[in-house]
Formats: sequence, structure tokens, C-alpha cells
Amino acid sequence: MARRLICRAAEVPENGLKECEAGGGLKLVVANAGGEFFAFQAICPHQEVPLCEGLFDGSTLTCHMHLWQWDVRTGAPLGIAEAPLQRYPLEREGDALYLGGDSTAIDVGELFNGLSGATLEKLVSLARKESYPAGAVLYRMGDPAEDFFVLESGRVEFQIGRDARVDPAGFMLKKGEVFGWAALLENHPQRIASARAMENSVLLRLNGKQALKLLESDPASGYVVMRRLSGLIARFLTPAGAK
Amino acid sequence: MRVQVSARNRAFHFEADEGEKILYAGLCAQAGLPYECATGTCGTCKAKLVDGAIDDAWPEAPGRRFIKPERGEFLMCQCAAQSDVSIEVASFVYPADPRACRVGTLSGTVGAVRPLTHDVAALEVELDAPCEFDAGQFMAVSAPGVRGRRGYSMVNFARAAQRLEFVVKRKPGGGFSEWLFSEQAAGARIGLVGPLGRATFDPGLARNILCIAGGSGIAGMMSILARAKAADYFSRHKVHVFFGVRTMRDVFFLDELAAYPQADITVALSEEDPPANTRLRFERGLVHEVAKRAMAGKYQNLRAYVAGPPPAVDAAIRVLLLDAKLTTDNIRYDKFS
Repeated sequence: MARRLICRAAEVPENGLKECEAGGGLKLVVANAGGEFFAFQAICPHQEVPLCEGLFDGSTLTCHMHLWQWDVRTGAPLGIAEAPLQRYPLEREGDALYLGGDSTAIDVGELFNGLSGATLEKLVSLARKESYPAGAVLYRMGDPAEDFFVLESGRVEFQIGRDARVDPAGFMLKKGEVFGWAALLENHPQRIASARAMENSVLLRLNGKQALKLLESDPASGYVVMRRLSGLIARFLTPAGAK
Repeated sequence: MRVQVSARNRAFHFEADEGEKILYAGLCAQAGLPYECATGTCGTCKAKLVDGAIDDAWPEAPGRRFIKPERGEFLMCQCAAQSDVSIEVASFVYPADPRACRVGTLSGTVGAVRPLTHDVAALEVELDAPCEFDAGQFMAVSAPGVRGRRGYSMVNFARAAQRLEFVVKRKPGGGFSEWLFSEQAAGARIGLVGPLGRATFDPGLARNILCIAGGSGIAGMMSILARAKAADYFSRHKVHVFFGVRTMRDVFFLDELAAYPQADITVALSEEDPPANTRLRFERGLVHEVAKRAMAGKYQNLRAYVAGPPPAVDAAIRVLLLDAKLTTDNIRYDKFS
């Protein structure tokens, strides 16, 4: 397939934003961070607000509607943002910016985005892509918790309790969301909830022990992942803003 | 009716009365459902109907541009459950902060309506039962025969408040404000849901304060000033207030603002030069630009409150993020104009 031209570098103002048509209906917002260019999904993952109307100071991108913020180098959520931005790699040739390879759910994911390139590549090589039809059970409460999952597309719902006494316990729907994270914890060999695909869903499955071992070999990345993991777990346990 | 909610992080349920808007029922039941204006314009309280039937009281609500009805999406602030319903809210929902004032359904009687300018009036409401609110909060107010509700910030501050004061700007064709400026308003019975809003001030904040208000947005700032004065906040922290209007014809609350000599108060006139010999400081310019000039280098340890017409709020937020480099938790605003 021919490379897709996104825009000319000169069209994006210094420390500014520009919405671009990437062809095939794909719209991106391109940010110029002091001469480095980054591309993201054009619409805020919160509501239908174009990010090109947002605020950009050269490092942090802010949606003006509810002040969700992201790190422009990675798309990682900052502050109150509840979801990462999907980042699209760019290739520059002279003044032309082309769409690079597709980013995987691991690149955009809330745990791993922005990690060192080598570690990310190894993580991607650990991942196995799996497709599930709507209604498929991914795991049940009490199952061994060996693998964790990164959502590529679709929707996964969780339930706690057994048999007749089950209660819904939330759902995942953003590309890059991580679940089944008990596999990344010590002394949590069992699933504490059941997970079911509610639409046709594509997941990346990674073995928890292998991922932890890899992160031990790159402690800087491992530290970032553990910090994010603790934040992610806290989000499901405590009220916002509680200390 | 039972409302079963599936949120991103958890599931819960609460009861809603017949005709009671799902958002209000949930907030009264201490569920921290997402909302901003609570009155049909912002779209923040979007949810999806999974099961059951709802009644949409205002299908033309401006906030509907943010939802996709064909996917079962609706605004919780406009819809009531007609049966037990199951809904989905695609955000993280936590129980309400137990330290926050409880949201309730209130009623009261309109007292004096006092003109402040050619198109702004002060409105007093005598509540049937006292209510607690935090400085900077607002109520979703309904009037007899007027469709929907409007958000108005409290001007006064009191614990166990029996009387609430609001500022209302007359909008041609605006159902509520036209009603208020009519003969029927005085003595009329009105309904209120609240207190609502995150732009709250508590003296425990222990930060300097910057208030940027356009027009009737000054209402909530007056409550913050009253709260600060009651807590002797001025002796420990700086309080800057920038109040923007078009011309001298549009300005109000000058005496009330002058009652806070410890606060650093500036009135910005966008369309004419300020008069000479005023008690308060006057500047020429848009309020966010006047604030930006005056505040350069004074943003340390600061919490900002912003209110007013949406373009003014957006412009002020731009200054606070890009020039002041404030973190988002120190920029508080409620867009309900």
C-alpha cells in the first residue's frame, strides 16, 4: 500500500496543532513539539470534541472541554484523563509527514505506552493476538491468573460472585486498556472476577511472569509500569481524589 | 423505580421517583454521576439505556448534539425512568465525597427581584427548609410553566441557609429569565435541585485565590468572597478578583465588591475606557487579558475559579493553563451558562 501523506510539517505551527485527513476516513491531530511531530486520534476519547481546538504548550495536550490532558510524546493520560490517546507513528521525509506503521494496543496502552523502544518491542513479541466472539468467557473467578490482557478492540465486561449471585463490576472499552492484572501481582494466583467479551473483541494475551521478567531487565521501564499499575488498581478501589 | 447503573469501574443502583430526572435521583442518592451543567446543555451526563423505558422531557436540549439517540444514548439530566431501568455510564463513577454537601430536591418562594442593570437582576429565594452548600456552588432551578431548568450560582454564603441569592441575566427568548423579569415571578413557588458543581471554595484550601468572572459569573465569586471573609482568609492568603463586563452600563455589585478592601479587585471594561475616580480599580480590556497582565509572576500556590459566558471561560482557561501553568485540579469552573 502506498504511504499515506498526513500533511506538510510547515503547516503545523510551532507548539501548535493541526487536524489532518489521513485518507480512508481517518482523521488525526498533528502536534508540533519544538520541531518534533506527533499524531493522535483527532477526537477526544471522552466526548466528541476535536482535539485541534485544544490547548498545547509544546509538551502537554489539553482538551478544552473538560481539561483531560496527555503527554504529547506518548499519548499517556495525565491528571484527570481516564483514557490514553491513540498515537500514530509518523515518518518524516523532508517537509512531508507520512503515516508510519500501525501502533498496537500495547503501544497505546495505559501501562506500557512511552516505554523504551527495545522493551516495547520485546513486550509486543510476548503478546499473542486472540479474537473472541460476543458472549465468550475469557476467564472465570477462581481460574489461575497466569496471563493478562490488553484490549485491542471490542468490549469486555467483568462480574464478581458465583452462580446465581453475580454482580456486574465494570467494563473495558478503550483500545490499550489492561485487565486480568492479577497476573502481574505476587500472591494473586487466582482470578477475582469473571471476564466476558460482550462484542466481538480482539485481545492481546501476555504471560504475567514473562512480562515481569522482561521488566526486571529494564528497571526504569519496570518502575513506570508498576507506578501505572498501582494507579490503575487504585482507580477501581477508591473514590476519586481520596488520599 | 430502580435505576441499575453499570459504570466503567463498578455497578450500583438507586431509586428514582416517577418523573424524577435520573441524574438528580442519582446525585441525591450519593452517586457521583458525571455532570457539568445539569440542565441540558453540556452533554457531560450522557448515558446509554440498556433495558427499560425512559421519558425525555426535552428532546430539543442543546446537549443532545453530544449524544447518539440511535445507540440508545440519552442525557440523564433530562430523562426520567418510566420503569425499572438498566443504564450504562461510560466513565468512572465513585460514591459522592462524604465531606461534600448532600444534593437534595428543594422548594422555595421567590422574594424580592431587584434590578442590578438593564438586563441583570438579583433574585432572592426563601427556602422551605434550610440547606447546606459550599461557596461557589449552584442550583438547578425550575419555574412554573417554564420548561427545563437553569443553573444559577448562589451569591451569598451561609451555613444552614434559609435564603439563597442569585444573579439572573435576561436573555431574549430565554424562558426562565423572561419569566423572572415578568410580573409573575414575585411570590411564585420554584423548585431547586442542588447544591451542584465542583467549583467550590473551602478555607482549608490554604492557597491564594484568583477569580475570573464575566458578567453574571460574578455570582459564585461573591459567595467565595463571603466565605473567605467569614474565615479571615484575607489575613493569610491573597485573593484576586477580575470582573469583566462590556461597559459601565453593565457593571453591578460595585458596593458589594468594595466591601472587601483586603481583596485585590479589578473591574475590566471591554468596550469603553474606564471612568476616573473610582473606588475599585478599573482597566480597559477583555477580562482574561486584564487578568493575564496583572497576574504575571503571581501564580505561585494559587487556585483559580472561572465563571461566565463559555467563550470567556475558555479564554481564561487558556491563560491559566498556558501562561500560569496551573495544574488542572487548581482550575475550577462550571460551564452552565
